[in-house]
Amino acid sequence: MASTLRLYLTCIRNTLEAAMCLQNFPCQEVERHNKPEVELKTSPELLLNPVLICRNEAEKCLIETSINSIRISLKVKQADELENILAKKFLRFLSMRAEAFQVLRRKPVQGYDISFLITNYHCEELQKQKLIDFIVQFMEDIDKEISELKMSVSTRGRLVATEFLKQF
Amino acid sequence: MASFERASPALKEILLRIYNAEKPIEVDYHLYEFGSVEYHIKSSVSEPQVTYLSISTPFLSQGVFLSYGLSPFTLKMVRQISTDVLHIVEPANDGYQLTLRLDFSKLPHNKESLKIITEVSSVQAVILSSQLKEMLQNVNSWDSSQGMYKPIKLIYHPKEPFYVIRQPQKIVAVFPMRFKDNSDVIIATSFFQELMDVVSLKKWAKVPPCNWSPIPPLELRGESFEDLSTDGGFVSFDISSHHVEGKRLDKTVWSLLNFYAYVKHHVKCTRGFIQRRMRRRLDNLVKVLEKSRVEDGQIKKVQGWRKMRKMVGSKSKMIKRRWGDLGKKIKRIRFRIKIHGFARFRRRWLTVPSFSSSTAYTKLQTNGNNN
Repeated sequence: MASTLRLYLTCIRNTLEAAMCLQNFPCQEVERHNKPEVELKTSPELLLNPVLICRNEAEKCLIETSINSIRISLKVKQADELENILAKKFLRFLSMRAEAFQVLRRKPVQGYDISFLITNYHCEELQKQKLIDFIVQFMEDIDKEISELKMSVSTRGRLVATEFLKQF
Repeated sequence: MASFERASPALKEILLRIYNAEKPIEVDYHLYEFGSVEYHIKSSVSEPQVTYLSISTPFLSQGVFLSYGLSPFTLKMVRQISTDVLHIVEPANDGYQLTLRLDFSKLPHNKESLKIITEVSSVQAVILSSQLKEMLQNVNSWDSSQGMYKPIKLIYHPKEPFYVIRQPQKIVAVFPMRFKDNSDVIIATSFFQELMDVVSLKKWAKVPPCNWSPIPPLELRGESFEDLSTDGGFVSFDISSHHVEGKRLDKTVWSLLNFYAYVKHHVKCTRGFIQRRMRRRLDNLVKVLEKSRVEDGQIKKVQGWRKMRKMVGSKSKMIKRRWGDLGKKIKRIRFRIKIHGFARFRRRWLTVPSFSSSTAYTKLQTNGNNN
């Protein structure tokens, strides 16, 4: 199980290292505008082929690249209803605080749970290798956090049930 | 463990204030709690040690008790709070089920007085729990057909009824669970599953067996659709005779009456816990991203609009440039205030000396007299 996760993350890391070669590119259609081309998708010559990396049916990562920006969308594993609501709550919590992360998108791409948008300006302010490390660690931390939350909720439920039954 | 107090905090505070008052005070308060419980507290200067307390509370089971008022068992439970201090006034005041006459002169002058006042403040809980105690001790079948006992619908909290069904050798208490939010349903369902797991352990063999199902149990078939439509399923407890023996009766009754509140409290606390953990994780993730920020010393690229540092060739040029900058600064600071006519004075007497450079030359003025 852990080995498939390692392979999945390594594949994503290698793809990001290859894809994150961004440069400044002003908008071709509107003067004095500079827009992330991966979001607009108006000029096909500026877009690269999107790469979809699937760990299994439930977990996948979509990497869309353009000349001046890259968009990474993640679908997180949700085994049961409890993991489903925990993942939904947590990722929505992070998305609502996207300004703290700078590279996080406020709304995920349709069909995915969370999305990042990295532009050439981010690559200038942040080191590329560490940015990739952050994305990979983010994915690991999300999985770990959801598992820990699920276990904590179950443990709390058990303790509360024990306390309730002590009254009888 | 969340403590659900039996005593009404507002009622207790008012009674303590009347008891601790240095001189007699005129009191006429109406208190409302939970939207349906009403208290009327009256104390007059003419009778300083006596306070009248009237209570109006909806009964647990409307169909059974409404026509009879409070049962003798309930009145007996109320008298047992304190036989010296508390007397039941008959008939009760208009609009109230029960009126009590409290004689504070009979209260002991020690910590016992606080305990008695607290028990008096819990009279509403005593009334409701006595009704359920009566049912659990000796349940009569109000309607039976084909050997099946009709479920009795009890309402402790508004819009949250539960059912008590008499069966051979046991009584089943069924709680239809409803929640506003889908995430609450899932957290509560996880709790019910843990509850069933714990009850199934040998250590907890003496507690009432508990069961959760998403569909209504067989005993409730025939009840109204409104009461049976839930999103959290049905939790049922099987109460046997040894769960209602002696002092255990009071604990069992209070636990059953507060089961809804207990579950809602647990769901609320779990949501708060999840929120705190998410916030902590957010802080950790942001710290990781901050580490990837490029330090100032690592800037290698120079952008067009930024100042470029030049390698200065000669020292004198550098000194001259710096002095020029300093001079301008001094002028700016000194000459912020404009005085009319001062400019000419400044130009004549306050000019900054200019250095002559060793490499510079003085241009000679040529005129017709030079040979």
